[in-house]
Amino acid sequence: MPDGGATEVVSGDAAEQALAYLAEMSPDLRGAAILDSAGAVLAAAGHPDRWREDAAALLDVADRAGGEPVEQVHVATEQGEVFVVRSAGLAAVAVTERFALASLMFFDMRSVLRDLAATAGRRDENRRISGEIGPSAPGSGEG
Amino acid sequence: MPTKPHRVLLDRVSGYAEEAAAFMRRRRVARRPFARLYYPNGRSSDHAADSVAGGELFVAAGRLIEVAGKKPKP
Repeated sequence: MPDGGATEVVSGDAAEQALAYLAEMSPDLRGAAILDSAGAVLAAAGHPDRWREDAAALLDVADRAGGEPVEQVHVATEQGEVFVVRSAGLAAVAVTERFALASLMFFDMRSVLRDLAATAGRRDENRRISGEIGPSAPGSGEG
Repeated sequence: MPTKPHRVLLDRVSGYAEEAAAFMRRRRVARRPFARLYYPNGRSSDHAADSVAGGELFVAAGRLIEVAGKKPKP
């Protein structure tokens, strides 16, 4: 991920909720997935394995195309549109109908990822305080 | 006899709505597929469908569109 990875572990439930929220916010959405920094699917509408493989393939091509990691991808085809956003150590992939409003999609996806990372950070901090997990390594946080 | 004020307003709003509808129709007809990448430094780049990177992006995006399927009926 270009912006470093969130060390906090995002739960599948939280990711599912985030996905449901994104679907509610975006009437043009056909399907979406949320991936962690390693490319594993946290939540997906449909087949998680295929989302993981195809999202990884798209990000790989996109990263190679410009010689540096991309932050956002927008591909508009005759069949639909694909949006990818990387933020806070997570990635969101969304497929929409044609002519979806790109700026709104990017805004919604970015805010969902930011909220998800913040929720995970708070939960991690609570567990740290209650002694369930050890202290975080210096400089390992998202910042 | 002057036109009633509310009719002027209605005509004006209808005019704007027709302009917007025409713009959207033209946009739908004229818009071509594209692949656009955005980078953390604010840079963005377009990749034509007939370029190597553009072709690969369209293929990868097509697979994702296939995975997502059609929009579920409400």
